[in-house]
Amino acid sequence: MPINRLVVKEEIATYAGVLFDAASDRGGLEAVLEVRSQMEAVIGAMRADMGLAPTLSDPDAADDVRYELAKGAFGACEPELGEVLAVMAQRRDLDLLPRVLEALNGLMAEKLDTVVVDVTTVVPLDDELRRIIKEKTEADLGANVVLREHIDKAILGGIIMSTGEKRIDASIISQLNHARNVLKETTDGGEC
Amino acid sequence: MKARASKATALGIAAVACLAAFPTAALAAEEEAAGGLSVILPNMLEFVPMLVAFIILWIILAKFGWPMFNGMLEKRENTIREALRKSEEAQIESERTLAEYRKQLADAKAQAAALIAEARETGDAVKAGITEKAHAEAADMIAKAKVAIEAEKKQAIAELQASVVDTSVDVAARLIGEDLTEGEHRKVIERYVKEAGSFNAN
Repeated sequence: MPINRLVVKEEIATYAGVLFDAASDRGGLEAVLEVRSQMEAVIGAMRADMGLAPTLSDPDAADDVRYELAKGAFGACEPELGEVLAVMAQRRDLDLLPRVLEALNGLMAEKLDTVVVDVTTVVPLDDELRRIIKEKTEADLGANVVLREHIDKAILGGIIMSTGEKRIDASIISQLNHARNVLKETTDGGEC
Repeated sequence: MKARASKATALGIAAVACLAAFPTAALAAEEEAAGGLSVILPNMLEFVPMLVAFIILWIILAKFGWPMFNGMLEKRENTIREALRKSEEAQIESERTLAEYRKQLADAKAQAAALIAEARETGDAVKAGITEKAHAEAADMIAKAKVAIEAEKKQAIAELQASVVDTSVDVAARLIGEDLTEGEHRKVIERYVKEAGSFNAN
């Protein structure tokens, strides 16, 4: 059981390195991107299902039981991801998964000179928009960019681009909310 | 008193002497006037015993009665004199007491007047204090009420303004979401991407 920050950091780096190396060896950038995408899906599922994470981290269950449970739960994932997740469950390290994803992003940028940028829009992007967005983000980040597109009608229009902790929110909903806040804050207390 | 007793004694002695000095003349006259004066002249046979009895009575009275009477008079006189003296003393005392009472009354009146004046002054001061305090409290309450009213007014206007803003933004959001076509959305995306800041700026 890791008790030291450096130990935990080392463990995270180990998990990310194993994932990156295994996926890269198997299918190069595409495989790494797929693993990354599946990791995000797993993180989302664990956040959405309040019973999943406690079950897979149950201290009363034997390590092998947790391993088998994770293998069964994440059997549809890429093989290297499923194996790493099972080991993390066995060691009760699944709560480190978001940090493993960050480490994987770092490895991608470092070793493949590639950054994944999540792009959220209301309508699907066409090639011209993809080119424009890619040019801009590559210029900003100084690395190859892989766009991951999402459709979300709730943003009303515009675009949201994010990678890791960096984020550009140029959505209409964001601008409307900004306008809403400005209008509310600029109230003069009724001295109209 | 003693002078009066001596005087009475002298008169008695003179009368007895006259009667004793002129018994013959009296008898002669009795005889001469046996016809007329004898009527008014006493009979010696009766007169002498009566005179003796009178003298004896007078001596007894002078010896025993008069001193007793005189003593009673003196006692009465002393009593009256004492009463008068006491009365005078009582009058003097009463006058002194009256004067004292008058002085005390005057002092009491002056003291009462001073107390009343002081009470009036105190009352006026208290009244002024209470009035001033009431005015101050009223002014404070009015000021607080004004502040509260102003705050509530601002709050109400701010809430109304926020409600108007929310409604306006919601309407704008709905209009934008419903009215923009895909092509317009793409134009907006393109413009926003070109105008958006850098990742490095965030």
